[in-house]
Amino acid sequence: MRFLMTSRATDTTPEPDETLFVEMGKFIEELSAAGVLLATGGLEQGGVRMTSTGGEITLTDGPFTEAKEAIAGFALVEVRSREEAVELGRRFLKITGDGSSTIQEVYGA
Amino acid sequence: MTTGEHRPPRPGAGGAVSRTIDAVWKLESAKIIAGLTRLVRDVGLAEELAQDALVAALEQWPASGVPDNPGAWLMAIAKRRAIDHIRRARRLESKQEQLAHELDQPAEPDRDDVLRLIFITCHPVLPTAARVALTLRLVGGLTAAEIARAFLGTEQVIAQRIAAAKRTLADARVSFELPDGAERLSSVLDVIYLIFNEGYSATSGTDLIRLDLCLEALRLGRLLAELAPREAEVHGLVALMEIQASRSATRTDSAGAPVQLHEQDRGRWDQLLIRRGFTAMLRARDLGGPPGPYVLQAAIAVCHAQARIADDTDWAQIATLYAALAQLLPTPVVHLNRAVAVGKADGPQAGLDLVDGLLDDPALRDYHLLPGVRGDLLVHLGRFADARLEFERAASLARNAAERDFLRRRADQLPADEPVTATLGGAAHDFLARDDLDAQTVRSYGQTMRRLCVALGEKLPLTALTADTVTRTFETAWGTAAPATWNRHRATIRSFGAWAALDDLATGLDRRAETRRAVSSIEMVELDELCERPDIRLRDRVLWRLLHESGAAIRIVLSLDVDQLDLDDRRARVAGTWVSWRAATARLLPDLISDRTRGPLFLADRRPAPARPVEQADLCPDTGRRRLSYERAEYLFKQATGERYTLRGLRLGRGR
Repeated sequence: MRFLMTSRATDTTPEPDETLFVEMGKFIEELSAAGVLLATGGLEQGGVRMTSTGGEITLTDGPFTEAKEAIAGFALVEVRSREEAVELGRRFLKITGDGSSTIQEVYGA
Repeated sequence: MTTGEHRPPRPGAGGAVSRTIDAVWKLESAKIIAGLTRLVRDVGLAEELAQDALVAALEQWPASGVPDNPGAWLMAIAKRRAIDHIRRARRLESKQEQLAHELDQPAEPDRDDVLRLIFITCHPVLPTAARVALTLRLVGGLTAAEIARAFLGTEQVIAQRIAAAKRTLADARVSFELPDGAERLSSVLDVIYLIFNEGYSATSGTDLIRLDLCLEALRLGRLLAELAPREAEVHGLVALMEIQASRSATRTDSAGAPVQLHEQDRGRWDQLLIRRGFTAMLRARDLGGPPGPYVLQAAIAVCHAQARIADDTDWAQIATLYAALAQLLPTPVVHLNRAVAVGKADGPQAGLDLVDGLLDDPALRDYHLLPGVRGDLLVHLGRFADARLEFERAASLARNAAERDFLRRRADQLPADEPVTATLGGAAHDFLARDDLDAQTVRSYGQTMRRLCVALGEKLPLTALTADTVTRTFETAWGTAAPATWNRHRATIRSFGAWAALDDLATGLDRRAETRRAVSSIEMVELDELCERPDIRLRDRVLWRLLHESGAAIRIVLSLDVDQLDLDDRRARVAGTWVSWRAATARLLPDLISDRTRGPLFLADRRPAPARPVEQADLCPDTGRRRLSYERAEYLFKQATGERYTLRGLRLGRGR
């Protein structure tokens, strides 16, 4: 089963510091070694939002929230159960501190 | 837990917590068991201690919540149990202080511990099935029930297999060290690839692919690649599995029937996995060295992945890679795949010629892909009736339901010849259905006729049944069987021939001398005398000694290549089995090999006539001489012994 985890900063998300980068690097390395992590990367805060309404496509430039500049990212993991994905998400949040993550199963893979 | 918030576990929320614990266990158990094995030096005990920790978690976490670092929590509990156990056992009295010190060290797990654990679960002292089960259990963290489900077995059988494996490891006092030598590593790679293949092309059952097993093997492979990054073959295996797995969504259609590679929707191949495969392949290439079997197989997979459409496939390159692979891994299946590639690169007739060379191989007797491939080549040659027969034969041999249906459909799509009134299957049925045969005769005749039908196809027109085809079937099926067995089947054919008015069916089948003693009575003394004779050549002396000491099949021994020999350990790995010898052979071998490093061990006296095509693998690249044939070897031995013995007698005489 594949899951996509996306994480975003919230108002109370602390500024990333050296410790966080080290911890996160270790975590990513561990997941790669376990054969779990398929792909990962950071995401820009804003981006472009595209909406299609009645055939009309609208582009909106970010940022979309008032959240301050902070890390956002995604990870594509291959695990045996939803619980394993949730457990990984839990460990991820333990490292980043406050923030929010979404875990969604990827179908058709 | 599909909607709503993930609440912290409370008492009474047992189901969710136990699923969480199960997830944590699967993520952590390999590290925990590996770390414990380092302490107690016994995987069986280590697993019990780890299980104790798991039980503790099941008792405590529902009330206390999952700890911040669940892996460390489990490890701490397990280590405490380990100390208790060791104290109770009152072993190593004097070392207890040092031990306690060791146990006090921070629980930083040594990454090599997991690697050591994998080497133990894939240890050659264990039978293959046990290696698979133990690896999935201890490294993959699967329960016996989960393993049983994946392999369509019963939980009890798997549990017993795991228990027996642990006992074997304890009895053999297998050490918790990183072995050196490529052989142990290739055992690990083979176990992982076996797991992958069981998932990728399920040999039995109704589903063609069992993805959970593929995934498990991929995880093990990726893990191994991180733990042993300097081994090109590990990356080769990972590349092979990633690329093969990239096609899993397209290998079956919506009804579950197999879709062949050239008909797959390449747009749906998983590009992420393909890219990972390419990356692994690059890592393997960067490490250099001569490519091993997994790197070569991965290179073949890369060729397929690089072709945007099936017609772009570089078959010439694939045929070359298979030729190289056949040198390292001269298995019938590799030869068959090579024939497929050659058929695509050089035309179907070239492929068919190679396949026909495999028809007599006993190892492929019941392999459904041999007639399947042959049928495919025949279709391309426009020989539809022959092709139909082959697909029907392939379908009757296939064990997987989806594949069987697929092959049957391919047969049905082909135009049939004018209806055949008398077929082998029909005649066999009528022959056995007579009422003048007693039950035992029917059973005995039935065995012969069934084998004949499986080998030649039930739909074979009776008119196409010749002494030649019968003889070939006999050689493949019972060539190495006891003379009495051979003669019993021969009697059936004679009776069948007389009944069906095909009198000469058994002309190619000599009656074999049944008194075992007469065949096997070449005693050591006699062999010694024979080998002392000045007119006997070194090559023949080595062959006879080797047959006598190894008891291996004659064709297997003749197929040995120089580079397969392990002179120190007095054994050779060939066609998936071991051939081992003793002192008399070992004394002679170095002289026979001389300074050769490759090519067939036993060479014919002369070079082949230019007009006779010879398999590359059967030619000595240095002298141009071909491999000694069975017929020639048999002739020489009969000559030397005044027609009193055959080579088979040498095998039977071993151990006396």
